[in-house]
Amino acid sequence: MSITYLEAIREAQAHALRDDPRVFIYGQDIGAFGGAFKATKNLAKEFPGRVLDSPISEDAMVGLAVGAAIEGMRPIVEMQFADFSTVGFNQVVNQAATLFWRTNVSCPITVRLPFGGTSGSGPFHSQCIEAIYAHYPGIIVLTPATVEDAYSMLLAAVATNDPVIFCEHKFLYYHLKAEKLPSEALPIGKARIAREGRDLTIVTYSAMVHEALAAATELATEGWEIEVVDLRSVKPLDTDTVIASVARTGRLLCVGEAWPWGGVTAEVIARVSAESYGLLDAPPQRLNAKDTPVPYHPNLWAAHRPTARSVAAAARKLLRF
Amino acid sequence: MPQIPIIMPQLGESIAEAAIISFLVQPGAQVEGGQDLIEVETNKATMTVTAPCSGRIESFSAELNESYAVGDVLGKLEVTAEEAKRAGLDVPPPEKTGDTESIVKQQPTGKSSRVEPTIRGLPVPANATGASYMSPRLKARMHELGLSAADLAGIAGSGAAGRVTVEDFEKFMANLEQQKLTKASSMRVAVADAMRRSWTRPLATVGLPVALDALLAHRKSCNPKPGPALYALRALALALAENSAVAGRLVGTNIVHPSSIDVGFAVEAEDGVLVPVIRAANKKSLKELVVRYDELVELARQRKLPADATGGSVATVTNFGTFGLIWATPIPLPEQTLVLGLGAGRKMPHWDEAKGQFVPVTEAYLTLSFDHRVLDGGAAGRLLQRIAALMKQPELL
Amino acid sequence: MLQTVTERESIGTTQLAAYRFMLRARLLDEKFAALYRAGKIHGGVFLGRGQEALSAAIGVHLNKSDVFAPLIRDAAGRLAFGETILDAVRTYMGSALGPMRGRDGNVHRGKPQEGYLAMISHLGAMISVVNGVLFARRMKGISSIVGVACLGEGATSTGSFHEALNQAAVEKLPLVLVVANNQYAYSTPNDRQFACDDLVHKAAGYGVGAHSVVGNDLVACLKVVGTAVARARAGQGPQLVVANLLRLCGHGEHDDAGYIVPELKNSPLGRDCLKLAEDFLLKEKITDAAQLAVWRSEAIREIEDAVAQVQREPAPDPFAENWTALSTENLAEGRE
Repeated sequence: MSITYLEAIREAQAHALRDDPRVFIYGQDIGAFGGAFKATKNLAKEFPGRVLDSPISEDAMVGLAVGAAIEGMRPIVEMQFADFSTVGFNQVVNQAATLFWRTNVSCPITVRLPFGGTSGSGPFHSQCIEAIYAHYPGIIVLTPATVEDAYSMLLAAVATNDPVIFCEHKFLYYHLKAEKLPSEALPIGKARIAREGRDLTIVTYSAMVHEALAAATELATEGWEIEVVDLRSVKPLDTDTVIASVARTGRLLCVGEAWPWGGVTAEVIARVSAESYGLLDAPPQRLNAKDTPVPYHPNLWAAHRPTARSVAAAARKLLRF
Repeated sequence: MPQIPIIMPQLGESIAEAAIISFLVQPGAQVEGGQDLIEVETNKATMTVTAPCSGRIESFSAELNESYAVGDVLGKLEVTAEEAKRAGLDVPPPEKTGDTESIVKQQPTGKSSRVEPTIRGLPVPANATGASYMSPRLKARMHELGLSAADLAGIAGSGAAGRVTVEDFEKFMANLEQQKLTKASSMRVAVADAMRRSWTRPLATVGLPVALDALLAHRKSCNPKPGPALYALRALALALAENSAVAGRLVGTNIVHPSSIDVGFAVEAEDGVLVPVIRAANKKSLKELVVRYDELVELARQRKLPADATGGSVATVTNFGTFGLIWATPIPLPEQTLVLGLGAGRKMPHWDEAKGQFVPVTEAYLTLSFDHRVLDGGAAGRLLQRIAALMKQPELL
Repeated sequence: MLQTVTERESIGTTQLAAYRFMLRARLLDEKFAALYRAGKIHGGVFLGRGQEALSAAIGVHLNKSDVFAPLIRDAAGRLAFGETILDAVRTYMGSALGPMRGRDGNVHRGKPQEGYLAMISHLGAMISVVNGVLFARRMKGISSIVGVACLGEGATSTGSFHEALNQAAVEKLPLVLVVANNQYAYSTPNDRQFACDDLVHKAAGYGVGAHSVVGNDLVACLKVVGTAVARARAGQGPQLVVANLLRLCGHGEHDDAGYIVPELKNSPLGRDCLKLAEDFLLKEKITDAAQLAVWRSEAIREIEDAVAQVQREPAPDPFAENWTALSTENLAEGRE
């Protein structure tokens, strides 16, 4: 038996609905249809009245979730694509994210963002916008890279008393498989060493963890030992684990599928440079998508985002410094 | 006849794979372009894979109920060359640039990259002479261990442009531990530090032979007897009193002038050198200086120099002639611009025009090492000439 | 139809109660304006002058268990819903003891856990939040409640308004959306804001109940808002109330409102709702002038006492402030 990343997300939601009567799911096409990606397959039937289709109104979807959270519920909002969440951006960053600070009332909402590029998805179904949410105070931004994390971190998100942006990578939905669901997990805010090494640290998250691991496998044939840090959550960002890794290797490459300007990779490099300058034996580097909208054709798309090949090339360059 | 692959098509937005439900035709069947061949199921819907053009099904490689990724080959279609050309399928498909498959199957990506990495060049050390570039980590490690750049001179760097990487450094340090190590004395470390700091400046040396006969004759008449170095010291003090700017220090765009002609002299002590200082050496006669000089030499050897007799001098005199050396290029102290050296005296033949023959003359080399930022060869030469002239007239000292 | 004596008395009591909230709100606003001019209030001061009748009419029809999302000109409604003058003063003056603890100020105040929502500045954004509270309560099996969201005509141009009203209609939530059409959104006149003949026509498009009222007429406001609230409470779905009135002041105290045309000021809409209400109460002999004077002086004393008390209260201390925006403190970043 094996379970995919997508099935883990469905199972986590089923688990949350079963365990906690305060949980409900609200989003477009998620009811009887089971969601655009089938992340809520059969849940509406299993949990009547708690898995509800919403109108195509991202702003009002989040607003409703905030209102319900004020009343003590724990809503999960499914955005059909992360790209569309910008329509509801105001409610997330101004309503949900400020509520606790302003009023001392917690806002336990989870907004699921199916995000990231897949072949042929183009400019409006591929975006990685975790950094703009992470920029705002009052929000937790999670970016699971494994089936196990997809499951346990979604459960943790629903259990958290603050707004959580849950970035689930569409590229991993069907590709990634695990033998079974995990029974224990690292807490939110802890990064994971996905591969140990001593020559160079690659800090990354979500789907790029797998590109980095593939690059590390390739570089191992050349005699390099690459350490790969999976951030798991981009906010809070586990600076300690990153710095501990850089202390071992002296070289840092940050990889993100998101656009480069002011993003997670920039934040990691800023922190390492400021807090552990004396650990760097080479200028910290980063590799991101190109600063254009995400292209449609697979050839363009593969060149637009970092891949195992371009990660390996960037790592080689840094290793030679 | 050419064979064309039957490929799992992109079946919709964000669909990465699909499972085979049924084959709608059998191998060997003749099919038309666009005809449904295989029924597949995605997470969204049931769809069909169609024939890319007319031909005969050669084989199906896909298996029932198995999932295949978008782009996977599901079977082969045998077509006429004409048909293949008409359908535009006679050219091989472009090399796939996506890394989709490498994630799932961990295929080695040995092919040459068609995709330029978006990373830009790392800064290469501007000065490609090895150890000139030191990374923050290297500096931090050196600081931690109390090392300076000079200590790294023996490491062959393996980094960009020959820079020393931290790995090179750690290997070097580990290797050191294999060898015999003794603790350097604090005096040695202090001298090393002073010399290293001084060496950051462009230093130059000029030299001049000076006849010592008059000086030696004068010395005999004195009691107590001043040493040759004290004559040099006194001559230097008088010369500097006439023009103290040459002993100034350059700080930024300013020359810092000496406020008093305090001159030091080098005394060899155990495992190092001490430099006692005579204050206002221009204002005391040789006779007055000699007592103080001898006293300070003795105190220095006992390592008991009083605080007012160390530091703050504007130049130093060093008598390397006591080691039998005739020529040297001493290094001034870091806070000084000048160091005057005195070589060993030797009997040298000098042509006496009046007598028409060689006569023996006791001669020694005077050297002046200086910070070339503050003065040039000409000024240094003139200063040295003046000192030599004074030493030839010891009664003026 | 003739009203019975009991009905008349009951209505009279409601009218009196509403009038007293209007009076207290007007006097409170005037005090805020005076403090603003004296430099004692940081940031803006926003008055409800001319909108007190509508606002009070909303407040008096709500129960403690209802939901209220007032906007900037709803001091009367807030008092009627149960807010204290002290909390209003504390928020304006940034007191550490106020409900917002100096973290937000002026009209951005509320107690969400009591169904009294604290507005954000983005217009139309509170409607879907009210929907959410009502939605959650329905899930919990709570019925016979209503939620009121207040807005101006300017907010009807936002996407949030559209999304949320449609959402409420789809979910058949007991939402009453009260639009105070005060003719200007800041300085923008209605002909640059919308092109329909009457905003209330929008109700049909969303499939919700429609109500129009003259907003400076307390008696009319009480009747129409009361009807809308009762229908929503009875399960008849969302209700849209559009009140026509005129803002008798600037957008804030920094604004002299020179853009308001004289024709509007001199029209029936330009008449002061508080004066109209007093005239009505005296004419109908529901109360007398002496009583009005007593209520006025009582309100002034209460306000002055509150201001004096708050001025003695501690200001927020930046060194004692808990600088984290998360309730899960161990997940907060940047703590020192």
